[in-house]
Amino acid sequence: MDWWPLLWSIIKALLIVVFVLANAFLIWVERKIAGRFQRRLGPMRVGRPHGWAQTFADLIKLLSKEDVVPGTAEKWLFLLAPIVAFLPALLVYMVIPFGPTWVVNDLNIGVIFISAVTSFSVLSFFMSGWGSNNKYSVMGAFRAAAQLMSYEVPLVLSMIAVVMLAGSLSLNDIVKAQSIPFVVLQPLGFLTFFIAAVAELNRTPFDLAEAESELVAGYNTEYSGMRWAFFFLSEYANTVSASAIMATLFFGGWRGFLLPLPPVVWFLIKTYIFVFIIMWVRWTLPRVRIDQLLNLGWKLLLPVALLNIAWTGLLGLVFKI
Amino acid sequence: MNLQLLAFMILSLVTLGAAFKVITARFITHAALYLALSFVGVAGLFLLLNADFLAAVQLLVYVGAITTMLIFAVMLSQVEEIRQGAAEEGFWRRILSARFGVIPLAVAAALAGVILYLYRFANWKAVPVAPDPNTTRSIGQAMFTTYLIPFEVASLVLLVAMIGAIVLTMKKEDRSR
Repeated sequence: MDWWPLLWSIIKALLIVVFVLANAFLIWVERKIAGRFQRRLGPMRVGRPHGWAQTFADLIKLLSKEDVVPGTAEKWLFLLAPIVAFLPALLVYMVIPFGPTWVVNDLNIGVIFISAVTSFSVLSFFMSGWGSNNKYSVMGAFRAAAQLMSYEVPLVLSMIAVVMLAGSLSLNDIVKAQSIPFVVLQPLGFLTFFIAAVAELNRTPFDLAEAESELVAGYNTEYSGMRWAFFFLSEYANTVSASAIMATLFFGGWRGFLLPLPPVVWFLIKTYIFVFIIMWVRWTLPRVRIDQLLNLGWKLLLPVALLNIAWTGLLGLVFKI
Repeated sequence: MNLQLLAFMILSLVTLGAAFKVITARFITHAALYLALSFVGVAGLFLLLNADFLAAVQLLVYVGAITTMLIFAVMLSQVEEIRQGAAEEGFWRRILSARFGVIPLAVAAALAGVILYLYRFANWKAVPVAPDPNTTRSIGQAMFTTYLIPFEVASLVLLVAMIGAIVLTMKKEDRSR
C-alpha cells in the first residue's frame, strides 16, 4: 500500500489547522479596529508596538481557567457542543482553493459540500443552548435555529446562481470560469450572499443568538475557559472562511489583475478585505430586532435571490455566457 | 481487512446504534440529536458507494433541515415538560410491555425477516454498475429529462403543503381585517 497520499493529506489538513489557528490574530485586529471606530486605541499594554500579544495573553488565561460545567447542565451535550461548533468551521477549508493547485481536496461537489457542512452549526447552537439548561441559553439556541433556517435559503439560492454561470460545483472551476468576476454579472446575487453570510455567521447586526443586552451571552452564557474559546475561535474561523468563499465565488478567488502577484497573495488580499468589511459592518450598525431579521430574510432576500436566479438564466440565454 | 470494509462497519454501527438510541432515549431532544448522528452515518455510507452528491444532500437536507424542524417542534412546546422527559422505565420492562415492546418488536422482526429473505433469494444483478465520476451531472440530467414530471409533481406537492401550513397557522383576526 502506498502511504504517500495519506501522509500528504494529513500534512495538508495540519496546514489548514495552522492557518485557522493563525487567524486568532484577527481577534487583536478586530479589537484595534473597534477601538478606532470608537475613537480609542484598543489594547495597548501587552506587547509592543500596539499590544500585538494581547490575544496570546488571553489565550493563556483561557487555557489556565477551570473547566466549569453547571450542575444542572446536560453534561454530554454541554461538553460536546464546542467541538461540534469548531469541526464544520475547519471542514469548510477543505474545498477552498488558495491557489490554482493549493487546495486540500477539490471536490466536484464543492458548493454543496460547503452548505452541507455549515448547516451543522445549528446543531452546535442547539446542543450548547439546550445543554446549558439556562433560560437565556435556550432562548439563544431557538433564535439561532430560526435565524440560520431563514438565511440558509437565500444563501444557497445565491450560490446556485454562481453555479449556473460557472457550470460546475467545484470551487476551482468556478474561479477558472471568472474571466469577468461574477460580481459584475450578478451584483444582486453578491449583495444577497453577503447579507445572508453575515447573518449565518451570527455577527452584529445579526447576532441575536448571543445578544448581550438581552440574553447575557445567549447560547454560550454558561461556557468559560477553553470551551468558550472554541466558540470564539470558530466564529473567527467562520468569518475568514465566509470571506474566502465570497472572494472565490464573486471576485475571482486567486485570479489577479494588473499586478503580477502570486495567486495565493491575491486570494489572501481579497479574503482579508472582506474580513475587514464584515468587522466594519459589525462596529457601525446596531443590532436588528428578531422580527426585522425574519422579515428581511423571507420578504426581501428570498425574492431578490430568486430574481437573481432569473436574471442569471436570462444572461445565459441571451449572451450565452 | 481492507479499509473500506472497516469504514463500512464503523459507519453502519454508528448508524444503527444511533437509530436505536433515537427510540430508547428518554428526552426528545436527545432523540433528535441521535437522529442527526444516524443521518450522518447514512451520509458516510453514501460516500462509500461513491455517491458524493447524495451524501452532501443527505447532510444538507436531513441534518441541516429535518433536525432544525425538530428543534422548531421543541421550540413550540413547553420547555419544562420536555426537560422532565419520558417516565423512567427499565429496558426489559419496556421491551416486555405490550404497548411499547412486543408489537413493535414483532413488526420489526417481520420486516427484518423480509429484508433478509430478499437479500438471500432475490435475483440481484451480479455486475455492479461502474461508479459515475460525475454523479451530480447525471442526477441533474435524469431529473430534468426522464423524471421531469415526477420531479415537478413532487415540487408542486411541497408547494401545496407549504401554502397549506401558512393558511392553517394564519390567525382569525388577521382575516377579518
